[in-house]
Amino acid sequence: MSLDDHSTDAVLSVRDLTVSFATRQGVVRAVDGLSFDVGAKEVLGIVGESGSGKSVAMYSMLGLVRDANVSISGSVLFEGREILGLSDADMQSVRGGEVGMIFQDPMTALTPVYTVGWQIVEQLRAHNEMTKKAAYERAAELLAEVGIPDPKSRINHYPHEFSGGMRQRVVIAMALSCNPKLLIADEPTTALDVTTQAQILDLMGRLQATHGSSIVIITHDMGVIAEIAHRVVVMYAGRPAEIGPEIDVVRSARHPYTWGLLGAVPRADVKTRRLVTIPGNAVSPLEVPPGCAFAPRCQYRMDICEQRPPLRGAHDHLDACWLSDEQRLAIRSTATVRGES
Amino acid sequence: MSDDVLLKATDVVKNYASRRRVKGLRTLNTAVNGVSLEVTRGETLGIVGESGCGKSTLARCLVQLLPVTSGSVQFNGVELTTLSRRQLRPHRRQMQLVFQDPYASLNPRRTVGDIVADPMRINKIGSDAEISSRVRTLFETVGLDPSSLRRYPHEFSGGQRQRIGIARSLSLNPSLVVADEPVSALDVSVQAQVLNLMTDLQDEFKLTYLFIAHDLGVVRHVSDRVGVMYLGEIVELGAAEALYERPLHPYTEALLSVVPELNDTDAPRRERIIISGDVPDPSDRPTGCSFHPRCPAATDICTTEKPAFVELRPGRFVACHHPRNVDAVALTT
Ligand SMILES: Nc1ncnc2c1ncn2[C@@H]1O[C@H](COP(=O)(O)OP(=O)(O)OP(=O)(O)O)[C@@H](O)[C@H]1O
Ligand SMILES: Nc1ncnc2c1ncn2[C@@H]1O[C@H](COP(=O)(O)OP(=O)(O)OP(=O)(O)O)[C@@H](O)[C@H]1O
Ligand code: SF4
Ligand code: SF4
Ligand SMILES: [Mg+2]
Ligand SMILES: [Mg+2]
Repeated sequence: MSLDDHSTDAVLSVRDLTVSFATRQGVVRAVDGLSFDVGAKEVLGIVGESGSGKSVAMYSMLGLVRDANVSISGSVLFEGREILGLSDADMQSVRGGEVGMIFQDPMTALTPVYTVGWQIVEQLRAHNEMTKKAAYERAAELLAEVGIPDPKSRINHYPHEFSGGMRQRVVIAMALSCNPKLLIADEPTTALDVTTQAQILDLMGRLQATHGSSIVIITHDMGVIAEIAHRVVVMYAGRPAEIGPEIDVVRSARHPYTWGLLGAVPRADVKTRRLVTIPGNAVSPLEVPPGCAFAPRCQYRMDICEQRPPLRGAHDHLDACWLSDEQRLAIRSTATVRGES
Repeated sequence: MSDDVLLKATDVVKNYASRRRVKGLRTLNTAVNGVSLEVTRGETLGIVGESGCGKSTLARCLVQLLPVTSGSVQFNGVELTTLSRRQLRPHRRQMQLVFQDPYASLNPRRTVGDIVADPMRINKIGSDAEISSRVRTLFETVGLDPSSLRRYPHEFSGGQRQRIGIARSLSLNPSLVVADEPVSALDVSVQAQVLNLMTDLQDEFKLTYLFIAHDLGVVRHVSDRVGVMYLGEIVELGAAEALYERPLHPYTEALLSVVPELNDTDAPRRERIIISGDVPDPSDRPTGCSFHPRCPAATDICTTEKPAFVELRPGRFVACHHPRNVDAVALTT
């Protein structure tokens, strides 16, 4: 299988998304040939280390990259309609309406000088015909739904009067206010403690079940992916390294970078001995090699890796690596690619 | 105090003036509320807890970067809290800190070679030639190229900067390294490199580590023993494996149950215990057990009586009226 043509039944279908910035040092290809589909009611996780292009990919689709030196190409179909290159006005009705957004720092989505109630009401009235009174009632319902205690009085509070976890709940309430088909969450729990993260992931899972939205969740934590995502895209240097069902990627990863990523995690659930390390540092976005982006750090590099590997695979588990199935099998049976446990 | 104990803290309390006022008066924020612990020579004691629970404050009190409000800290059998700055100096040299933020903790205007050499110069250890040869050795030890000595911190990646911080902390041959979130700012692949390095250095130099982090996986991986902090108190302390497998304190149990797991085997996932609410303000501490407003196992006594921190099983300390897994722990220890 490959991801050449758009999928017809996907809520979001991304093909060959490429985003580059012209900078004084040269051209930064932040996203380079990213393709994936998000099905109805599906939770898709995008995982990768810092700088791998996760945020730029999402923001560029939604017209949120505000940089005069950006150029974006490819195709992004949302419910069958091309949204790359929409006018600001059209994009604004997509954002916050059919597509809800949650950010790592909840204050990105909140304004400090207005009450949270006012902000939810504005959002509701921007996308629906509603009286102020009805909107306030709906806002209180939403706050109750995301687990804010005493919503009727909390609705009149300002963002700084909430804890970090409670603020993220408010942002989720806002994102849900217009019953979005798709929710995009960029590191929604990264700034939160583990108990608060559990509350938020639990909430997102429950809301997804009741509202039936599809979710794209961006994270650098494989554990979060395993906890909530149905399918996962592993990104490296702006490119998709591997795409597949969560369980297949975690249990039978195919790309050497994914092996490293999984083996490097010190675990709380089992004893880990020596951690698997990936030699070297993440590649500079100005110096991504023309062939396989991971080649300078890959211990299985071959001559052919000087050419860019295509994203391909059997069924719905794809990877961009030149290794043959036999080679992978041999590597996995000898080396401890997943860490000793 | 047994010879094996390098550092011993007894009832350490640290108050800050809080921003909260009651009847116009500032209340006290008890960031560390009576912590007692011992660090044995050659071991890694991990301290884990959520944001604001007092980990960094405790670390700074232990190495005397902050004066304690009350309590005792003994290092190599010497009481530190009553020493003058000058008397402290030789002991301080034995205890080095590694910080979380490799960006903020290195002086941007000094070369990395100078940064590593400075502690030796300040303490007048060795000639210039000896110092510069030791700096080169330290660079090699932490896996950095000595040819980059004359470069500045901003020219290095996060993981490399953390290596520089580690090289600096080792320059005075300390016996204790207190690492406060040393890998939290790093990507997972770089974090693994730094954790492996720290393990190797411990073996090579017989270091004792006090390792502070909020990541439960990282702490399990590096620690021999682990202390769990909540609202300025150590609520549970024990051997890492035993504590992670069979936690005694309801907070530890809940914390461990919600760590996202990779789910790469068919072993059943721990049942998730999602505790509700937020951590209370340390200047407005609940009565009785500090955890009682959020504890799924709380009873009446928990609201009135503070549970004592006791050794419930050999090597297993806990502060709770209704500890969990007690029968199972009795069988396994
Ligand atoms: N406006 C810009 N101009 C130039 N380069 C940019 C710009 N915005 C982002 N980049 C670069 O694009 C790459 C991808 O950045 P992005 O923020 O998408 O990474 P990320 O995967 O979200 O990382 P993180 O996990 O740190 O959030 C990085 O190398 C970044 O430096
Ligand atoms: N200099 C200070 N003045 C006043 N209060 C402080 C100061 N430093 C810390 N605190 C407070 O003391 C408590 C403990 O803070 P501390 O930084 O020790 O926690 P921590 O466990 O290290 O948190 P983190 O995981 O966020 O680093 C918090 O309530 C914090 O707000
Ligand atoms: S294509 Fe080659 S260099 Fe790239 S990951 Fe596969 S084996 Fe390694
Ligand atoms: S003492 Fe009571 S409230 Fe505190 S942790 Fe134990 S059971 Fe819970
Ligand atoms: Mg990002
Ligand atoms: Mg801290």
